Parts: sequence; structure tokens; C-alpha cells
Amino acid sequence: MKKLSKEPFNLIISGVGGQGNVLMSLLIGRALVNQGYFISVGDTYGASQRGGSVASHVRISEHTCYGSLISIGHADVILSLEPAETLRMLCQFGNPDVVTITNTRPIYPSDVTSGHAIYPKIDELLKLIEKLSATVIVIEATDEAFKLGNPIFANVILIGALIGSGALPLDKRSVEPILKENFPKEFDANMAAFNKGMEFAGH
Amino acid sequence: MASIELDAPGTTQLLLGNEAIARGALEAGIGFAASYPGTPASEIMDTLASIAKGMGIHAEWSVNEKVALEAAAGASFAGIRAIASMKQNGINVACDFLINLTMTGIGKGLILVVADDPGAISSSNEQDSRNICKWMNIPLLEPSNAQEAKDMTKWAFELSEELDTICIIRSVNRIGHTRGNVKLGELPKREQRAYFPNIWNMFDPTLSKFAAGPFPWLHNMLHQKLAKAQQRFESAPFNWYVGPDKAELLIITSGASTSCCTEAVKELKLDHKIGIFKLGTTWPIPENLVEKQLSRSQKVLFVEEVDPFIERSVMELAANLPPDSPRLVFYGKRSGHIPSYGELHPDVVINMIVDLMGITYQARDITYEKKAKELSMIIPGRALNLCPGCPHRATFWAVKNALQLDGRDGFVCGDIGCYALGFAAGGYYQSRTMHAMGSGAGVANGLGNLIQFGFEQPVIALCGDSTFFHATIPALINGVYNKSNFILLILDNNATAMTGFQPHPGTGMTGAGEQAISINMEALCHSLGAHVEVCDPFELENTTAILLKLMAEVGGVKVVIMRRECEMVRAKREKRFPYVVHVDPDICIGEACGCNRVCTRVFQCPGLIWDREAGKSKIDEAVCTGCGLCVEICPEGAIIKKAT
Amino acid sequence: MDMKAKGCRELLEEVIDVGLCAYCGACASGCPYLVSYKGRIVLLDNCDVSEGQCYQYCPRTHTDLNTISQQVFGADYSEDELGTVKEVLIARSMDSHIRERAQYGGVVTTLMSLALEEGYIDSAILAKMSNDKIPSAFLARNKEGILQCAGSNYMACSTLDTLNLIAKDSKDRLGIVAMPCQVLSISKMKEDPPQNRVNIENVKLVIGLFCTWALCHDTFQRFLRENFALTQVIKFDIPPPPANKFDVYSNSGKISLPLDNIREFIMPTCSYCFDMTAEFADISVGSVEGVEGWNTVLIRTDVGVELMERVKAKKKLEIGQLPSQNLAHLKEAALLKKKRALKEIIKKTGDKKKLLYLGMSESVVDRLLV
Repeated sequence: MKKLSKEPFNLIISGVGGQGNVLMSLLIGRALVNQGYFISVGDTYGASQRGGSVASHVRISEHTCYGSLISIGHADVILSLEPAETLRMLCQFGNPDVVTITNTRPIYPSDVTSGHAIYPKIDELLKLIEKLSATVIVIEATDEAFKLGNPIFANVILIGALIGSGALPLDKRSVEPILKENFPKEFDANMAAFNKGMEFAGH
Repeated sequence: MASIELDAPGTTQLLLGNEAIARGALEAGIGFAASYPGTPASEIMDTLASIAKGMGIHAEWSVNEKVALEAAAGASFAGIRAIASMKQNGINVACDFLINLTMTGIGKGLILVVADDPGAISSSNEQDSRNICKWMNIPLLEPSNAQEAKDMTKWAFELSEELDTICIIRSVNRIGHTRGNVKLGELPKREQRAYFPNIWNMFDPTLSKFAAGPFPWLHNMLHQKLAKAQQRFESAPFNWYVGPDKAELLIITSGASTSCCTEAVKELKLDHKIGIFKLGTTWPIPENLVEKQLSRSQKVLFVEEVDPFIERSVMELAANLPPDSPRLVFYGKRSGHIPSYGELHPDVVINMIVDLMGITYQARDITYEKKAKELSMIIPGRALNLCPGCPHRATFWAVKNALQLDGRDGFVCGDIGCYALGFAAGGYYQSRTMHAMGSGAGVANGLGNLIQFGFEQPVIALCGDSTFFHATIPALINGVYNKSNFILLILDNNATAMTGFQPHPGTGMTGAGEQAISINMEALCHSLGAHVEVCDPFELENTTAILLKLMAEVGGVKVVIMRRECEMVRAKREKRFPYVVHVDPDICIGEACGCNRVCTRVFQCPGLIWDREAGKSKIDEAVCTGCGLCVEICPEGAIIKKAT
Repeated sequence: MDMKAKGCRELLEEVIDVGLCAYCGACASGCPYLVSYKGRIVLLDNCDVSEGQCYQYCPRTHTDLNTISQQVFGADYSEDELGTVKEVLIARSMDSHIRERAQYGGVVTTLMSLALEEGYIDSAILAKMSNDKIPSAFLARNKEGILQCAGSNYMACSTLDTLNLIAKDSKDRLGIVAMPCQVLSISKMKEDPPQNRVNIENVKLVIGLFCTWALCHDTFQRFLRENFALTQVIKFDIPPPPANKFDVYSNSGKISLPLDNIREFIMPTCSYCFDMTAEFADISVGSVEGVEGWNTVLIRTDVGVELMERVKAKKKLEIGQLPSQNLAHLKEAALLKKKRALKEIIKKTGDKKKLLYLGMSESVVDRLLV
């Protein structure tokens, strides 16, 4: 079991209901448990899945299971499937040392499409995300996922990016068996997505 | 996913609190489990149902929580350990049976798991179900993490048998839906044999255990059971204290709040000054143990969700301490330090401690904090909406139009399920009332019988297919029998969708995955004497016409079954879209008079987005599920669908 | 009245919700928000377009009569009681089929059928009555279709919503049979053509009907349903004064109801209408008092003149002279309607300068109020 850079280490996986953040947190959590860490994962379920903002809080520790809720300003890594949600998480849980890995594809809430709110331009959003992060890795995960055949692959691409960034004490070897167990029929496609993500993170 | 049926004691798995409870029940050797879907309890039965066959247990999705508890009790009477699980509203439904059960006692261990939803993240009300234990004299346990959820469940069965009464485990969303490391225990290997003690003795009726009185006497017996529980709780493994012998501040906490407290104290680096007393057995409280903790400090802070439950018990205890005891000052919900509504976050606890200890604390760099606050203003909110392709969207659209055309100020009585979103923009703001399961039809009964007082407004009640079986049928019978006048829409999407697509009596499948009789709704309604129509809500014109026709008819109860499969269920099964949809920008007139972008501004399917620069609507291919409904909405015919 | 164009919210506030709506249909079916249904204009959803065509073309929102008159006739609004008229005559159809089905002389049916046959138009929009005596708009493409619409129904019908339903790129030339309020609306559309709706240039022929008032088809229809076997009813008629009757003809004969019993179904908006003879149509057609089986015909525009020449050449109509007494009565009735309308409008607004929808110069108003 590798030593953690911080105890506990706090990871937030955010996005919009239906994008797969719960699955992502489960896969990452299991990989970490297998490495011997104590994990707590808190997810939002139920009504907020219907198009609402969702986030998984992952607490990683060498000693004990922490409570699932991360307190304000205490995220160490933010991994996000949707850019407005990335900013939302940073505003609540970010701090000058946070590492941010974000997808670029907006999902427009009905507040925006109905004309009641404005969705900031994507380059504007990315600039603000940079302002609130120590490091930012920008991934066009949805575009890449489309190339692989389904926008849902964005979540595994981002897992790959997370592992590739080295922010967590995990490598490809520790994640591969989890992917195999979880996607017995579509292992190859998911592995391709994962590898793409690692590539994007410069690995 | 999680393999809770694994016979691998000592190994560790990452389990949801709900999965851990299921595992705990297995380790206790249950043979019977019953439940009704409800967030945040659903995964307990989801998990048990998926392994039931293999493990040789009976696990069922009952039609409602009352029946679920009754069924579990039946198994317990016949010597099979049983568990019933439900959300907070579920225990409300089961209450009458529950309180009667406390009178009679049980057979083998019987546990009720109630999952509260502080903050009402997925509920129509906020409640603290622990109060039911006080009200009904039921021993209560509150787990504080996934490991404890498993261990407590197992322990609770022994307790239940020792005391001969039902015991309750109270979980919350943060426990049930949090994944944590859980070390597995042993799975018992024993044959279960069910037999009901078929006894009646004229001279000693109390031998007919599950039916006898006299009830006030049994009530007294119950009090004695609780006294025994309290004794057991004095040495239960789930109550602990951490901190200095004498503390400047004593925090008393339970459940999910425990980790908020331990973390807050650690974050503030006050472990040497603040003691935390965590209670796992919270009704009745172990008075001797609590008294001992109260001597550690004169300042006591209660941190719990949602009501001041432990707070009041301890205050009651404190009121009876010897007169020469040091005066205690209590902080909590009564003093206003902790809110008595909503969910507790570690930040709330940190702020309270900071306040009480008179220190300062900065969660993060001040400049960052300021910048973050400023930038948070530009982030658009995310209102809840129905999924793309959802049949309820079509239903609400047809209802909206029909009510406007009818013009007599008609309205909708809403109910619980995905279609609860009828009160929001996604449901075109149609619902005017919403309470409990089945209340839509219930309330409509009253409204539909006010003609003598000059009432002329058409009344439309909603229910889902699962809700129909759960609670609406009696209301429908009442409407026919008591001659009310309303239209009941049964939104039959062939799933209990909101809670995770569990099966119900109409879907033709049991929880354990076996084929079952599919109860025919229209035949049932017909047999009650109601006028019944069935239609596909996606046929908007036809659906609107049916509604108008029925509203124009005077009198009686009419049922319209809006039948179309839930899009998520269909998509998962078929793995393809029926159509590829796109907007032709040359035909789209956008915000001009004649349209004013009705598709994004009013219709609001999340698959349709608005390109502000081009002034045109667009399909978001990452969201659209190709149902093609929006084609009917566009007045210019700019939305085009191609069959795949 | 404010000259600035407004939207559907103002349409509701200023017209629909205050009893001024004539149910002409000009605002309906042109967008997803406004539709006509059972005698009401219904708003299905809110539209926040600030300048809406629903408001713009409504005959009960501000209408400058000089502007409209310039558009239709190339001259200012005529102070003649019957409006701008090139020729007055009486006529009846030479076709016995038509005369059989007609209310009076069958002139409207004859004119529209000829226009279709001679290729002036490709289709015609008229009001057709169902067996249940519910009028609705009908798009006729042949003489038989037009014939099916013969006969007066006395109820308001939102025929103009059918105009809004015709495809934008349709090349079909249209003829319309319209009530005075509908004619006014069409004239407003011609003066400032609509966007994202049928090309108004396609409307080649407007035949207007004389009208004193119209009945609300929802309430009147209900009254009929409660008192008659509707499928047995053949036609309605209001004989000329002093009869004061509403006649219902059925298979079993004629039933005369006191006209006063029908007055409760008159649309409130009709008290504020100044136009009895459809002053902006190409040709206006009505009955001839005291002369059964003939129509009074007012020819107003060049289009009307040309069509009339053609009809005479084809010998489709028998033409006659309107007796001077009839003409005098007609003018008197038309003037009375104008005066009554002005009085009601001024009573409603309380101000001689605030005339609701009427954009009429003060001098004209004064002369009318004398």
C-alpha cells in the first residue's frame, strides 16, 4: 500500500445525473480497497438523478473509514464529467492546491434552454476553472467517447485520465481487473476508453 | 456488483451501507425478506433479491410497506428470521401493524430497517422516524458507517429474540448510500424449518401468542421488555467514547453525524479538549452509561439528524440527576445551535464547535474563498427534469393542453414517483397537490364530491403503475362507491422507475427474477365499475381528445391508463434509439413570432438545446434518446426524425 | 389606443378577457400558443414575444381606417354609410342546385364557384355547418365543396385560423368568405404582411357578408341541442323586421322563436362593431329585405368588378336593380350600427378620444355622433 500524499485524500467525482459518476466512484473505490486502503464513497441518488447536479465524495485513508461528506474547501482532486459542475465543485470544495480533471462538453440544464439562465462560454468556464485550481487537465472526453461509439464512455476515459495523472496511488494494473469484473462483455471497448484517458493525461 | 453472498469471512469488500445491512441479515441467517422500493432503502432488497434464489431465502418486493412488514412478521411467527426494509414514508404506512405487533411479540428474530432522508433529497417530507420507537416502545439502533450497519443488523436479530420484540435499525441516506470497507463475517450453514405454533387454549388465551390480550397488560409487558433492552444497551458494543477523561466540551452524537463530529474535532485539532460520546443504541438510551459521560464535562453539544431525539432523552435524564450534580449546559437544537431540519454537514459541526469553543477557523485561503463565492454566481442552476424520452412528458403536455382547452380551471392532484416532477417546469407546472403514495386519487375523491357547493372544476388525479397497486386502488374503489367525479390517470411505464426500476405486480416479474402473473390494470378497473380507456401518451392529439371528452362528460370516476414503457428501461433492453432526430436550421424560425422557440422554452426536453449565437434549436446527441416526440411540437416542422 | 404593436399578453388583457373577441380566428393556429376551441380563443402556453402578430392582426386592436382604406381602395376611409362602393345591385343564381341550397339568392356560392372554375383562385375558405350545426372552417377545392357551405349559420366561426394553417410556401391562390371583422383582419394583414404564416398575397378574393351580430357558437349550439333534434334541422333564418323572429326549419316544418330569446347568445363584441356591410371586401353580399330569393350585392374593388363582369358574361347570375327604398333602409341600418357601436365604445372607455380599436378621425366621429 503506497503512502498517501494527504491523510485522508479527498476526491470528488461530479457531473449530471445519468453520466455515470456513481459507477466511476465504485470502480475507483474498489480498486483502492484492493490495494488495502480504507475507503468511503458518498453518492447522491434518487431524485437528483433526473437531470440534476450529482457528485460522489471519495475519502481515501490508510487507517480508517472517514465520513462520506467532504467539508468546504477540502477537495484534493476534482474529476468532473461536465464543465459547469466542475466550477460548481471548485467553488464549494476547491482550494489553491486542488488538482482538477475536467470534461469539456456542456450539458445544458433546462434553466438555460428555457431562457432563464445563461450557460457561460466554454473557454470562459475553462479559464475560471484554471483560476481556482493548482493544476488543470482538460479532456474532450465526450468527443472521444463518440469516436469510440457511445458518449457514455466518457466516464471510463476520465477514470483513465485520473489514473494517468498520478494523483491517486493507482496504476493501470490495479484498475484493469476491476474493469474486467465490471464489464465482462464490453471489456475491450472500456479498456480502449481507459487507455485513451491515460494518454490524454500525458501517460 | 457487490458480492454479499460470498462465503469468505475475514475478507473486505467495498459495500454500500444498504448492501452491508443485507450482508448482516445473511450473516444472521434470515430466511425471509420483504420490502417496497423507497430511497434511501431500496438497495437492501435490490441486493437480497438478486441473490435470494442462490442463497435459498425468500426475498420479495411487496405491494406496499404494510404488507411487507406483515409478511416478514408472518415468517417470524413461523420460526424464520425475517427482515423488512423501507424508507421513512414506508414505516408510516406500516405503523398500524407495527404498533399492534409490539403488543403480541414475535417468533424468531424480526428486524425493521427504516431509512430516513434528512434534507428530503428524495422525499416529499422530512421526518425523524426514531420518534416512532419512542412512541411504540421499540428498541432502536443507529449505525454510523457501513461496517457497523452490518454488525448491528446481525446483533439486532439476537436482541430481538432475547427481548421477544421487533427491533428497528434506523439508517439515513448518508449511511445507506455511502460505500465503505466492510469486513465480512461468517455465513451460517443451517437448514431452516418453518412451523407456526398452532395453539389455542380456552383457559390460557395468552398462549395464542399472536392474538391474545388483555392489551393494557401486554403494554405493561412491553415496558418491561424495554427495561431489559436498556440493560443490554449498557454494555452494547456500539456505544463508545473517545477523548480526554475530562473535556471542555462533550459531544453526544449518533448515526451519520458521528463522522461529521470526529472529523470536525480532528480538523480543528481539538481532540485533547473535546470528547465525543457516540451512541449506537438510541432508544431506550443506556442511562447509566450516559450519566457517566455527562460527568466528563459541563458543556454538552448534541449532534444528530433530524429531531432533538437523543437530546430530549438526555435532558430528561439530566432533570433527574441528584440535586448536587454540577449544572450542565446543553447545546443543540433546543438552543438553536444545530438546525432541526435538513441534513448535517461537517461544516455545520465545525462552525458550531468554533462558536462554542471561542476559536477562529478558516476552511480555506481567504482570497480563494472570496473568488469562489463570486464565481459561484455565474453557474446556472440545474432544475430537475424528466429524462429525455420519458412518457410522462407527453402525458403532462396533453394534460396541460386539455385543461387549457376545457377552460373551467381544472387541475391535477399529483402523487409520488418520477411524475412528481409535475409541479416543476419539466411537467409544465401541472400538479397542484402532492402528499403521500396514493394521495392524488385520495384527495381527488373529496374534490370530486363538492358539486352541491357549486364546484365545477375538472379534477385529474395521477398515479404511477407501482403506486396504483401500492395505495391507489382503495381510493379508486371509494370514488366509485361514494359517487365521486374525477379522472384518474394511471401512468403505466411498466416500472417503479424513480427508485431503480424494481418490478411490481403489473410487470410480470418478481424481485427474484422469476416470471409472475402480470395483473391487468384495465380489467381490475373495469371490474370496479369505472370507465376505462387505454392510450399511448405519445399520441398527443388522441390523448388530448380523450381527456377533453372525459372532462366534458358529467359525473363518475374515469380511468385513463397512459401506457408507454419507461425510456430508461426500453433503452437498456433494446440498446438502440428508435429514431435519429435533428433540427433543420434552415426551417427553424427560433425566437420569431410564430414559434418563440416553444421546443426549448416550453417543451423543455433535455435533448433539445438552444444555440444562442445561431438563434436556432439543436439536438444534443449526447442526451437525446431518439424518441421523436419533439417532432410533434415544432410548429414549422423543423425537427426531423429518421427511423433507425 | 397605443400605436405600438404588442403581444399575446396584451391581446388577452385588451381583447379576449374583456369580451371584445369576435372569434374571427386571425390570432389562432399561427403559433403553438393560441388556438380556437368551442367558441373561445385559448392560450395554451405563455409567449413572451413583445410584438406579436396575434395582436397586430386582431380586428379589435388599433386599426387606422384611413390606412386600411388606402391599402384596399387607394383612398381615405369613405364616410358613406355603406363604405366605398363602385356599384350596388341585386342578384340571384341561375343555377337551380345552388338556389335550392342557398339562404337567399346563392350569390356567394355562385361567385366563389365561378372564381374557382375560371382559375382566379385554386381553393376557397368558407364556414361549413356540420350535421350537429357546429360551424367550422372548410377549405374547398371544387364547386361541390363550396356548395356544401351554402346557408347562413348566424354563429361566429374562427375561419381565419385555417388561413394560418396553410403552408408558408403554398402557391395556391385563395378566396375567402368572411364576416366584416374577418375582412378587417385580412385587410390589416395585406397592409403589413405576416411573417412565418401563409403568404397573404395568395388571398386573391374576399367576399364579405353583411352582419348585424353573430351568435356565440358554444352557448347557442347548446341551446339548440337542448331544444331541437339537430340532425333534423335544415336551416335558420331571421326574417326582416318587424317579424322579430328566429326561424328554425326542420324536416317537420318551421318553428319560430322570439328573436329576443336568441339575443342572450349574441357575442358581447358585436355591440362594439361599426361595420355592417364588410366595408373592405372585394364584394359584399347580404339579403334583400322583403324580396325572397335575392341578394344585395355591393361591388367595391377592381377585383370585384372583374369577377362580376365574368359572372355576367358566363350568365351565372340574374342581375337586378335594388329598389331605392331598400337602399335607403340599408344605409339607415348601416349608419345605425355605426352610431350604436360608437356610443357603446365611448360608454366603455368614458372618453370620446379613446375608441378602443377604431382609428377614426375626430371629425368623422363627431359627424357620426350628431
